[in-house]
Amino acid sequence: MSILPSLAFVLILASALVQVVFLFGRGRTADPVSHWLLAAAAAILAALIAARSASIGFPALTGTFESLVFYALTVCVLAAAYRLQGRLVFMPFVQFGATIAAAALLAVASSPIAPRQMLAPIPALRSFWLVAHVAFSFVGESFFVVSFVSALALLLSRDEERRRAYDRITYTSIAVGYPIFTTGALIFGAIWAEQAWGSWWSWDPKETWALVTWLVYTVYLHVRFVGKWGGSGRRTLPAAVAAAAFLCTLFTFFGVNFLLPGLHSYA
Amino acid sequence: MKKIFAALASIRLAVILIAYLAAAGVAASLVPQGHRADYYAERYPHALARAITLAGFSDFFRSPLFLAPAALFFLNLGACTVGRFARERRRPARRHGPDLLHLGLLLLILASVLSFTGRQSGGVRLARGDSVRLPGGRLLDLTDFAYLSYADGRPRDWISTVRVSEGTTVLMEGYPIRVNHPLRLGLLSIYQASSESETVLVLRDSSGLVHDLAPGEETESGGAKLFLVDPGRTGGKARLRVQDASGSRTVDLGSGDTVDGLTVVGSREVLLSGLEAVYDPGFPFVLVSLALAAFGIFLTFFQKLRDMGASES
Repeated sequence: MSILPSLAFVLILASALVQVVFLFGRGRTADPVSHWLLAAAAAILAALIAARSASIGFPALTGTFESLVFYALTVCVLAAAYRLQGRLVFMPFVQFGATIAAAALLAVASSPIAPRQMLAPIPALRSFWLVAHVAFSFVGESFFVVSFVSALALLLSRDEERRRAYDRITYTSIAVGYPIFTTGALIFGAIWAEQAWGSWWSWDPKETWALVTWLVYTVYLHVRFVGKWGGSGRRTLPAAVAAAAFLCTLFTFFGVNFLLPGLHSYA
Repeated sequence: MKKIFAALASIRLAVILIAYLAAAGVAASLVPQGHRADYYAERYPHALARAITLAGFSDFFRSPLFLAPAALFFLNLGACTVGRFARERRRPARRHGPDLLHLGLLLLILASVLSFTGRQSGGVRLARGDSVRLPGGRLLDLTDFAYLSYADGRPRDWISTVRVSEGTTVLMEGYPIRVNHPLRLGLLSIYQASSESETVLVLRDSSGLVHDLAPGEETESGGAKLFLVDPGRTGGKARLRVQDASGSRTVDLGSGDTVDGLTVVGSREVLLSGLEAVYDPGFPFVLVSLALAAFGIFLTFFQKLRDMGASES
């Protein structure tokens, strides 16, 4: 079982390599295999989670390593799925960014900050709501990975056609990820907290940062809705906010876990 | 009046307030919350510690720095919702998803106020056979308590089996309270909070009956009162405070020692269930508001993405 993350990592790197060759090659056409490599990596990560779940007798989503594997899995699935959306112009660039993100997540998963030992969950973590909370949060955040990559591409691009296309990808990925993240991180999280601790909201650092993340994405949606801010660069401000919002998701996951102790210290 | 409403219903105001709440939340998460002034004085430079306590950053989410903008945001959201709803009613293709989402958030803010101001909680530790009187007069008996563990010794679950009665009527029998599975009695919920073991002193009276005496408990024998201070002091002796006709004194007793007709048999470990009772009048409204917000948010973006797809095709 221990070889599975490495195998998935190799497939993701192979996918990235293929993408680089086609993206920056002379033809600049989309490659025919990279998304299948990502799908294979996702299948391996899914098998890893299934095997660990069978081993501990509970859905394996309760530790840092397992969360990172699940996160990488959903990013791989999304990168492959977005790539298959042939009608989205410039999508290969976004797919490449998401592939690098998935590789980075797996690299962190294999580092010492994410211990691999399989531990059955403590009583507070044995809850359907916890599984839904974690799963929905990471699926939502996977869409935010796509939005982050496309927002960065927008900010780095000067071509108006590209900027418009990246703006659309940023918006649509947030439009899908935002409701899923809201449901998972905030709503299911509140229900689980009430059942486990008797308090649906405690202003614990993790909760506060999840709310901050949600608020920043809310700012993005409203700034983009207003649309007039920023003058001729009206796509710049929303893209910058979308990028900042994604950095908040990273701090919520990594920063809070390692820097700010609280009720989620075991996460 | 119209100008005030227009100012309140401004999306720009909403963006500014949301951005402020996010930024303030970040700052507050970096400062440990809920401590006294001396805590900050010990850990931060003098000026910073003073600024934290004076500005209310030591309890940020109850301070005017948070509550005033949050209240203004509530008014802003309310005005936006009313204005938007009125506009949508005049459109042929109505989109009420954002209205439902905003309504859910407004209700959530009200429910939060009710929850944070009306919430009460308290904890007890019960051994098997112990009882506790609940608010409202009902009696909760712990009929059984099980500590389940994994093969490696880590806790798997704690299960308190309880009976709830009112007067002579048994309202509930054999209900298992587990972590993540509280007992609901209207707005009162009883949670499995912890499990711990305690050393109790085992005493035998002159008639041969055996009693357990836990730390902090008192028992009577032959006109004397015995209070257990510490069940296992150095040297294996228990420390008790005895009050009888000759006055009050502290004694250290080992196995076989006798005081006022009670003989120490020894000590034993007793498993205790930590239960927490919470009364939260706001939580039912929180659930309704979350459901409304969830429905509104999915409807909003489902319709938006569908409209985008339709306009492109």
